[in-house]
Amino acid sequence: MPALSLRSLARATSLPAGGTAEPLEDIRGIATITGVGETAVSGPSGRDPRQMALEAVAAAIADAGLQPQDIDGLMVSGHIADQITPDDFHRHFGTLGPLWFSTEGGAMIWAATCAHEAAMAMRARRATHIVNVFAVDWATRRAAGTGTPGDWHAGEDMKAHLEVPLGWYPQPVYFATFARRYMHEYQLTEAQLAAIPLTFRRHANGHPGAVMRDRGLTLEAYLARPPLAGPLRREDCCLISDGAAAWVMSPSERAADMPRIPIHIDGVGHGRIAGAPYISQQLDLTATPQVFAAPWAYAMAETAPAEVDVIAVYDCFSSTALMQIEDLGFCRKGEGGSFVQEDRLHYARTRRQGGIPCNTHGGLLSHGYLLGASHVVELVRQLRGSAANQVTDAQRAVYAGFTADEAATLVLSRGGA
Amino acid sequence: MNGPDLDHPLAGPFWSAAARKELQVTWCAACDRAVWYPRPHCPHCDGNLHWRRLSGEASLISWCEVAGGLNPQFREAYTCALVSPLEAPDIRIVMRVTENTTPALRCDMPGRVDFVYLQQTNGAPYLAPAFTPYA
Repeated sequence: MPALSLRSLARATSLPAGGTAEPLEDIRGIATITGVGETAVSGPSGRDPRQMALEAVAAAIADAGLQPQDIDGLMVSGHIADQITPDDFHRHFGTLGPLWFSTEGGAMIWAATCAHEAAMAMRARRATHIVNVFAVDWATRRAAGTGTPGDWHAGEDMKAHLEVPLGWYPQPVYFATFARRYMHEYQLTEAQLAAIPLTFRRHANGHPGAVMRDRGLTLEAYLARPPLAGPLRREDCCLISDGAAAWVMSPSERAADMPRIPIHIDGVGHGRIAGAPYISQQLDLTATPQVFAAPWAYAMAETAPAEVDVIAVYDCFSSTALMQIEDLGFCRKGEGGSFVQEDRLHYARTRRQGGIPCNTHGGLLSHGYLLGASHVVELVRQLRGSAANQVTDAQRAVYAGFTADEAATLVLSRGGA
Repeated sequence: MNGPDLDHPLAGPFWSAAARKELQVTWCAACDRAVWYPRPHCPHCDGNLHWRRLSGEASLISWCEVAGGLNPQFREAYTCALVSPLEAPDIRIVMRVTENTTPALRCDMPGRVDFVYLQQTNGAPYLAPAFTPYA
């Protein structure tokens, strides 16, 4: 199909005030996800992040029906310590060939934007089979006192000098403050918000790889818990985990000859708030930069929320998941609290039944905190039809990545059998 | 760092003013508006910024009740907030909320900025702004 121009993408994208979208070129039709792999996800395990990354990469390569020497592109996070390098890859797999390397991969927003970067690399003939991998050992680090997810925020110059000394830190405090404002503007109740952690927990209870596999959660138990960062409880906050996930991206024309059902990369969007990274100053505290990212991704994929069967949103906190479900266009701003009731996020309630299955692996709240990398793996499994909590006839999926000041959107679809 | 840095080129004056129980923010004379957080130049016109003392009249945008133990820098439970000053309703300053306030907190309630002593783990006490709702 003919590529959309940047101008036509921009024209199809009407954004609210307070942020911008990256002008990402149309990459539809170029790349597919052909293999996924992951390690066990756990609490403190002492596992080395590089070893976990290599284990996930090996699993993804095998899943794609490839050999390590077929891989000529590697994407990792440039923002999280201890990711693998091309040397690590070569040493581990005994390979020698050229390896296109990008640090614009990993998880969070990069779990979406890496697909764009990979497609551009394929278009420029820099690489053919590209693996993106993300590994984290924050559970081990936190237990050992050698690092926390708040370190970046504590080290940023203005946040260090005008937020930390006043106690606006760490992240639960940020998002609790925004959740409180949302409750005020849209009359969201704590019992309504509970639908998000409760539904994701039920998904985890049915997912063999979820950290919270065996831990139930009732509304009564949720409401009885004390606030951690009021109005948020611990159950509204993501786990801290060790683990790794990876996926192989291949040219679409090759995918037909590969063993797995090809999962097409149809659209990518990337947005950020004005004045990034200072989320305390964002124009709308009740929205996320997903409002700047999602329209671009939908325009590129020439689709709309009504045509999406399953989503995975970056649920660092229940309230950020709620806001992103709105900002992705599944209900109107302010209606999220009532929308997420009645099992509308549960995997068994399909679009045809008025639902939008969300975080069917349990999400960051109950599956594990791989910062969104497991979200993409889960969506691939949903579109292949091999998920633990399988959504009936899932054809199109959306991943919503988030860093707080930035968001990204990835639209995937199931290729023909 | 355990406490504010009065010598920080951008944020130091905020804390020097707080030590005198004054609330100051950076202001662009050309645009006649507050710029927050401080930066070397105005993001709108690239002009110079200066520090301006505000009245302390403010409204509470939102707040968070932080349980003891969540923030390793402050062991006891506390409440912190985003507060918009009357003269610059488009910016939000991170503050504390004065303890044991009446009436109950609600978004957009008016109040004034007071100053309270805070102390981080292994740090010295310092004065910091705190929102106090009008009774």
